[in-house]
Amino acid sequence: MAEDRAQAGFRDEAVDLDAELETANRKLAEAYRMASLGRLIAGIAHEISTPVGSILSNNAVLRRSLDRLREALADTSGAGAARLSEALEVLETLRSLAAVDKIACERISAVVVGLKTFARVEEKEFSKVSLNDLLRSTLVLTHAEYRSRIALETDFGDLPEVECYPQALSQVFLNLLVNAAQSIDGRGTVKVQTRREGEAVRISISDTGSGIRPEDRPRMLQPGFTTKPVGVGTGLGLSISREIVVDRHGGSIDFESELGVGTTFHIRIPVRQGGKATG
Amino acid sequence: MAQENSKPTVLIVDDEEMVVTSIRAFLKLDTDYEVRGFTDPEEAVRYLESCLADVVIADYVMPRMNGIQFLTRAKQLQPEATRVLLTGYADKQSAIQAINELSLFQYLEKPWDNAALLLVIQGGVERSQLFRQLREKIAELDAAHSNVQEIQRRLFRAFM
Repeated sequence: MAEDRAQAGFRDEAVDLDAELETANRKLAEAYRMASLGRLIAGIAHEISTPVGSILSNNAVLRRSLDRLREALADTSGAGAARLSEALEVLETLRSLAAVDKIACERISAVVVGLKTFARVEEKEFSKVSLNDLLRSTLVLTHAEYRSRIALETDFGDLPEVECYPQALSQVFLNLLVNAAQSIDGRGTVKVQTRREGEAVRISISDTGSGIRPEDRPRMLQPGFTTKPVGVGTGLGLSISREIVVDRHGGSIDFESELGVGTTFHIRIPVRQGGKATG
Repeated sequence: MAQENSKPTVLIVDDEEMVVTSIRAFLKLDTDYEVRGFTDPEEAVRYLESCLADVVIADYVMPRMNGIQFLTRAKQLQPEATRVLLTGYADKQSAIQAINELSLFQYLEKPWDNAALLLVIQGGVERSQLFRQLREKIAELDAAHSNVQEIQRRLFRAFM
């Protein structure tokens, strides 16, 4: 009797601890997500400030040009032809600036979409998304970091829509893209490729970085393991990515690497999730 | 080295096409300057090898060659041209270091303010033109001085 009660007590405690652990894991993943976004803030700000700078400048030019235009058109002094050609010239300039403004606004929109994908509140249900689009949004967030020294090549295959947690997957992509950039000393190339493989989709991210040492390879996906200097790597990125891809999506994550040549990570996500959210 | 025409020339290098277009449109509206825009710094270097520029403006963050590397080449090719760097907030420190190494005239933070940009460019044009005139005057003086010395020598020989 006493033994049964004791066992029941232990069981209850075990259930409680389990719940606590799950909560702690979730908080840790969330903190990591915020930290990785934080690292990109400077780059994202730069991504927005460039198109904003253009729009502001163009707007000032627009206002002054409209004044000039009004003068030219209201001129009844008889200098007709000259005024007309001046007016036409101003209109031509304004047309090209309007085209620039459109591109600038689209750039800002793309950053907003990228941020929104990332900032979604914890997803409880699967959504059907195009992983190519998801990758494109994530690449907007890394664009500023990459632009100065890393050439980006994308090779997007024809993909079906995939049932997934888009915010979680964008976190994984971001993690791999940042790792790829960090592994490259100076200039290099990162290639992102997507392909359908039967009932799954493969996303491969390759870099021309330093490669992973053979002795480090078995531990790459373990929590707390990092080859990066203190303050740069937390050792959480890949283990959280593994948890998202394998545990939450039933997919797989693996890599190939050659020292001095580079590394390629492959993520495979099943197209269908079998109807039930694993939360 | 050819100057394309007598108007002051402003060279802008930024890998973002929209920045070049916006700055060029703004300068066209408010100034009489000849504006040359480049999104490829290598191409801009080739331009500087054969054509004079009064002001050279470059963005700091560019793939393949950054603004400081480009302005270093510009300084080698045309030391009298005024050099200006456009920087984002994050690169300000590097820009400040470059001021001495490159004799940067100014650095401007992005997003830039049109009025501030205009002031810098006008000042830059004035500066480079003054330097050129100074060099020409010194050359003239040197030539005149040599002439005087030559005449002195002849006179001296004549009276020997």
